[in-house]
Amino acid sequence: MKSRGGQFWLWAASLAVYAFLYVPLAVVVLFSFNDSELNAQWVGFTTRWYAKLAADADMLHATANSLLIAVTASATATVLGTLAGVAMQRYRLRLLPTLALTPVAMPELLLGVSLLLFFRQVLDLTLGFVSILVAHITFSIGFVAVIVRARLAGMDESIFEAARDLGATPWAAFRRITLPLILPALIAGFLMAFTLSIDDFVITFFVAGVGVTTLPLQIYSMIKVAVTPEINAVSTLLMLLTLTVIATASRFAPDVLKGKA
Amino acid sequence: MKILLTAKDAKYAKENLLLAFLCVLCVLGGESLFAPRAHAEDVLHLYNWNNYISDETMTRFERQCGCRVKQDYYSDNEEMLAKLDAGATGYDLLVPTGNAVETLIRKNALRPLDKSKLPHLANINPAYLDAWYDPGNRYSVPYATTTTLIGYNVEKMRQLDLPTDTWALIFEPRYLAKIKGKITVLDSQRELMAAAMRYLGHSVQATDPAEWEQAKQLIIRAKPYWAAFSNSTYIKDLAIGNIWVAHGYSNDMFRAREDAKAAGRPFTIGFATPREGAVLAVDNWVLHKSGQRPDLAYKLIDFMLDGANAADVSNLIGAGNPNAAALPHIRTEVGGNPALFPPLSELGHLEMLRDFGPKLRRNLSRMWTEIKVR
Amino acid sequence: MARHARVDRLARWGMTLPPTVFLLAFVAAPALIMILASFREPGEFGGLAPWNGASFEAYRFLLTDIIYAEIFARSLLVAVLTTLICLVLAYPLAWLIARSPKRRRDLLVLLVMLPFASNFLIRIYAWIMLLGPLNLLFSPWAVMIGMVYVHLPFMVLPLYVNLERHDPALLEAARDLGAGAWTRFSRITFPLSLPGIYAGAALVFIPVFGMFAVPELLGGTGDILIANLIKEEFLQNRDWPLGSALSILLTVAVLACAGLATLAARRGFKGTEAVS
Repeated sequence: MKSRGGQFWLWAASLAVYAFLYVPLAVVVLFSFNDSELNAQWVGFTTRWYAKLAADADMLHATANSLLIAVTASATATVLGTLAGVAMQRYRLRLLPTLALTPVAMPELLLGVSLLLFFRQVLDLTLGFVSILVAHITFSIGFVAVIVRARLAGMDESIFEAARDLGATPWAAFRRITLPLILPALIAGFLMAFTLSIDDFVITFFVAGVGVTTLPLQIYSMIKVAVTPEINAVSTLLMLLTLTVIATASRFAPDVLKGKA
Repeated sequence: MKILLTAKDAKYAKENLLLAFLCVLCVLGGESLFAPRAHAEDVLHLYNWNNYISDETMTRFERQCGCRVKQDYYSDNEEMLAKLDAGATGYDLLVPTGNAVETLIRKNALRPLDKSKLPHLANINPAYLDAWYDPGNRYSVPYATTTTLIGYNVEKMRQLDLPTDTWALIFEPRYLAKIKGKITVLDSQRELMAAAMRYLGHSVQATDPAEWEQAKQLIIRAKPYWAAFSNSTYIKDLAIGNIWVAHGYSNDMFRAREDAKAAGRPFTIGFATPREGAVLAVDNWVLHKSGQRPDLAYKLIDFMLDGANAADVSNLIGAGNPNAAALPHIRTEVGGNPALFPPLSELGHLEMLRDFGPKLRRNLSRMWTEIKVR
Repeated sequence: MARHARVDRLARWGMTLPPTVFLLAFVAAPALIMILASFREPGEFGGLAPWNGASFEAYRFLLTDIIYAEIFARSLLVAVLTTLICLVLAYPLAWLIARSPKRRRDLLVLLVMLPFASNFLIRIYAWIMLLGPLNLLFSPWAVMIGMVYVHLPFMVLPLYVNLERHDPALLEAARDLGAGAWTRFSRITFPLSLPGIYAGAALVFIPVFGMFAVPELLGGTGDILIANLIKEEFLQNRDWPLGSALSILLTVAVLACAGLATLAARRGFKGTEAVS
């Protein structure tokens, strides 16, 4: 087995990395209770920033928008992504995988600007709700497809064939055999798309236009205008939300989070 | 929806419930998306500069017209134009500077004015009417003016024996060395280049590449001494004392001075138009074609044309005033300040910015990139 | 099976058509538009001028100017450095997780993923808070720290997935044959982990190119990268042709790097075949 010294250094290095990952976030959470507007030093404990958050109309508006967009976008992306995932696994396709995975593989920035161009130049669409929705669906489809496809890959397609041979229509076979089997992947995909949508900043930044803000955009303008503990408060709450969602997702599909490629 | 496998009913019950819940959410979500949005009652949509109408004035107007005003803000003409380009619609009223008015007119984005709805239009000082950007005032009504100049900490400048009436204060290393790290300049291509051009004796509208190159070198030479490029934080930084010199707008300097006074600081903020010349900005009311309530827009413009109301933008915000009827209502400390209210003799030194064509704009932004990166 | 064939074909179309049409409309078409836009003149007031034949002005402007090459090079450097630093930080952690008993492993992986659960603006903001008092804010160091911090979890996971599959017997055998710790690492573990390294590197290297928020919020005025330029061209200068041309050049650069990496990976595979 490895030498004692080696083990020690391994643990030390790992702990250091964990600390690097967590200390900044812990500081954010801690200072959300800081009784100081400048938030440079710890002054005292208070929950007034959370109260201020609850009364902040812009923030509530942005949150409502984010949630609405996230739910609608992830639902649509789940439907389209599932179709894509099953199709990609079952048939030998070239076009669909490329289209679905490009937004995943390319820097988000490129999708954002190309959609901006497309919406304005070709569709003459006023940027707002619909443009954000379409953008979110577009980049989520690939993720859902990958998750669903991975789940199917571990399965024996002959069950499906058997069902067809026994007289079931493709739709019935899908509904009663494939769907229940991939359901965990579906749900994990939905939750993944939900998280991606709630958290998305770069693409939303380009296609949001005026009038519709999402939570990340709101946080961004707060950071640029004035840095107060209110940002810490909203960050803490947002972290709690995504944590819950990811924890739920991992219960349905534990393999999902292990870096599927 | 019978999707349970009989043998594993219980196991998938939870999943089915979740799926059903999601479907409900989708329906709700989709519905609210496509549900017709209740059309705004009496709401005027105004797209304005930050801090350009005081809350006091706005409340008085809302009470008088029995309507609500919803304001969105921009801190830069470019930002406003870019947002409009991105498809922002629904604004009734905008407050662009002259060069942006010209651009909007040429883009056919504005409603021509129905002067019969503006009985108080005669209050405007004729010197501000019929400007190059809108001959005959077919689309715009002047609202306020600002000058881009230098704001400074009076005591510190005296202490360090530094001149405050020249652009050299922000461009010459022999002065900059004394205030290194305590200066900010505007984060604006046109404004900063304009200051450099005026200091070098050129027009802000000059297009000679050699002159631009000179200005660029001047800026790059001075950059190491500057603390930051800032469009708005300098107000607070000056008033607190973090910064001693700032390149910015006259009304912002006015605000910094008032803030410092109110906070009881041991110093005062002064500001002066550099003698080499500076940029004058005339901001105007215009009606955007996509606005739904032009009637309310006319109400606000006419309200602001009344002398007493117009005086607010000077008294409370420190902007210059093109409204002759407002002058008697303006405090002497504001009205008498040549930096805020440039006298006619000064006007020769002041230039207004005019937008360049796409080729020049591209060269200018490339120059700006180099300034940022060097 | 003949009676299946038609229905099956229908099913196949029913399944592939909706996502394909959607993606053609919102991935392929926008990409095409962007390519076309890069060959147009800028509009009088921003946007695009009416089509007047292909113009190479935007590309000429970018490719004949040292400043853009500089910024590209700097972005490349930041991407490479970020990837390397992430690799160095992630490797021990991934190794530890891979060698831990099964139960603890899942917990450790979750602990790595949790920071990813926070919005990346929050992760940047955390460093704004921490670096401000240390006077490191608005500097190239801040940009590097921010980039590494945001991308570290993406390097850990693929590495861990790969390392988990290594057969400990190999290392035992090597040790029995007298190989020292370093030899065991460099000649067995490291080569075998190359696929994981490449996967992690791809998940870090490519997103770094698109990240404008980190230099904008954490960096000074001189720290702008190619992503900031693209954003500026689209949202401030409204010079769509230039912005599009920059984006196309960026895409080409990313694809080139990905291509090179795949080539290297394939050779790496050949190497590992020899080992195993």
